[in-house]
Amino acid sequence: MTSPSSNSIWLYRYSLLVVFATVLLILAGGLVTSHEAGLAVPDWPLSYGQMMPPMVGNVFWEHGHRMIAGTVGILTLVLTLWVQFGKKCARIKKLAWLAMGAVVLQALLGGLTVILLLPPAVSIFHACLAQTFLCLLVALAFFLSPPFVSAGLAPAAASASNTGTAQRPWLFKFWVLIFAAVYVQLILGAIVRHTSPSHAVVFHVIWAFVVIGLIFLGVRAVLVTLPERQGPARTALTLGLLVIVQFFLGLGAFLYTQVLAHGYAPRTAEIFFASAHHTNGALVLALSLLLTLQVRE
Amino acid sequence: MKKFMFVLMAGLFVCSQAALAGNVTGSAAFSGTAPAKTEIVMAADPTCASLHTEPVYTEEAVVNSNNTLKNVFVYVKTGLEGKTFPAATTPVSFDQNGCHYMPHVTGVMVGQPLEIINSDSTLHNVHSLAKESKEFNLGMPIKGMKIKKTFEKPEIMVKMKCDVHPWMNAYVGVVSNPFFAVTGEDGSFEIKDLPAGTYTLAAWHETFGEQTAEVTVADGQPATANFSFSG
Ligand code: HEM
Ligand SMILES: [Cu+2]
Repeated sequence: MTSPSSNSIWLYRYSLLVVFATVLLILAGGLVTSHEAGLAVPDWPLSYGQMMPPMVGNVFWEHGHRMIAGTVGILTLVLTLWVQFGKKCARIKKLAWLAMGAVVLQALLGGLTVILLLPPAVSIFHACLAQTFLCLLVALAFFLSPPFVSAGLAPAAASASNTGTAQRPWLFKFWVLIFAAVYVQLILGAIVRHTSPSHAVVFHVIWAFVVIGLIFLGVRAVLVTLPERQGPARTALTLGLLVIVQFFLGLGAFLYTQVLAHGYAPRTAEIFFASAHHTNGALVLALSLLLTLQVRE
Repeated sequence: MKKFMFVLMAGLFVCSQAALAGNVTGSAAFSGTAPAKTEIVMAADPTCASLHTEPVYTEEAVVNSNNTLKNVFVYVKTGLEGKTFPAATTPVSFDQNGCHYMPHVTGVMVGQPLEIINSDSTLHNVHSLAKESKEFNLGMPIKGMKIKKTFEKPEIMVKMKCDVHPWMNAYVGVVSNPFFAVTGEDGSFEIKDLPAGTYTLAAWHETFGEQTAEVTVADGQPATANFSFSG
């Protein structure tokens, strides 16, 4: 298996499609929260007792989110089965099952938020699991990617045989730490978003400076130590850019959700900043993971 | 003969009760500048938008033309301790009409049915944010649909909202006695047949908070309680 078969390439491309659909799903979920539409459909799994209710008012956001989620669930099932029937190693197969489990659990949690009338703990868990699921898919896509597959190695073997990080295991460890720090920031952000008034915002803002500092250091380390490797360098630069964008989107979200007066319904600017910050935050987390995996090779 | 005696006794009893009670009237005055009106944009649901030809405004602060406040909930805060009153059985109507709650502020007794109606040809979810009673969220997708709900514990006030139409919200005062009222277009209220005694009445307003007033009700005498809010 030195050159990836066309089946492998299609499997890899398909996994990217699932990743992309999941980013859209996270955006759709963020829009539900921003429109305060979480309870616009009071029943689950049906919507007003139907498969397809009239998409009026906030039903559009809540039911739309359910439809995209259903699609992602099916896409994930196909991905998992495809991985099982392909000639993949056991760890990749397990990872696929883990992603499948996560998406099922996520759907159940989504249902629970509706039935229990949005208790903050369930909403926060649902928000964090969404991005954890994205991370699982990113890892899966990474292990299915042609450079990785053509190395003909299982994930475990890959790191043992490498030439790069053998001398630089600290870089991998540093990125594991950065990924963990971003994950903590996601949890803090979810707490801010689902509790009010939220004192967690103070910690979220303070931690943002830690995260931004760490990402800058980590990006610089990648560019300095692995300048010959295009993959990590590209990811690092994109991540550096996204985290700057994230900072300003965070400022906007802070201004519109915490400082300025609210109208009878969320304003467009508030929806824009909060949802863009939410989805871009998911991208920051996903790219941190990707870079961690790349420097591990 | 026995029956006649019974009716007579019952009649006397009722009269004596009435004699020992009085009506309380008053109003909720408003001074200061009335907040600017906010027009509601109903474009998110074309059916809602089509139900109105005139602009519709939010109701968090409705100042009447005689400088009084509409939608003030007046209730007995203290003075009825230890007394129990059976829950009224007549339902209180709570209508979703024109993608608007009618009325915006109302009251029910603990255990008294609140009859929630959907008069619109679009769907609503009616979501009670009660803290003392069980919270509920019900779908009302069909025009003409009615649901009766009761509350288990007194609460000033239970917020109701529709999550489909973010502009729709209302308040229900849940009390353990039948002595409450809501001010209308002229800012006045009347609480009927309050037993003789001394009370603290409270007047709650969504935006301007709560005011209290002492009132003494003597046998069969009308009493007054006036409140003044400032913006
Ligand atoms: C590195 C940087 C950051 C990351 C990765 C990040 C991540 C996130 C995420 C993922 C959420 C949404 C969680 C959810 O919806 O479940 C969130 C919410 C939020 N973040 Fe950040 N954030 C960062 C920096 C900032 C900064 C610098 C500020 C403010 C100055 C900020 C302010 C907020 C606010 C106000 C919310 C809540 C928005 C709402 O209530 O809708 N964030 N953050
Ligand atoms: Cu509605």
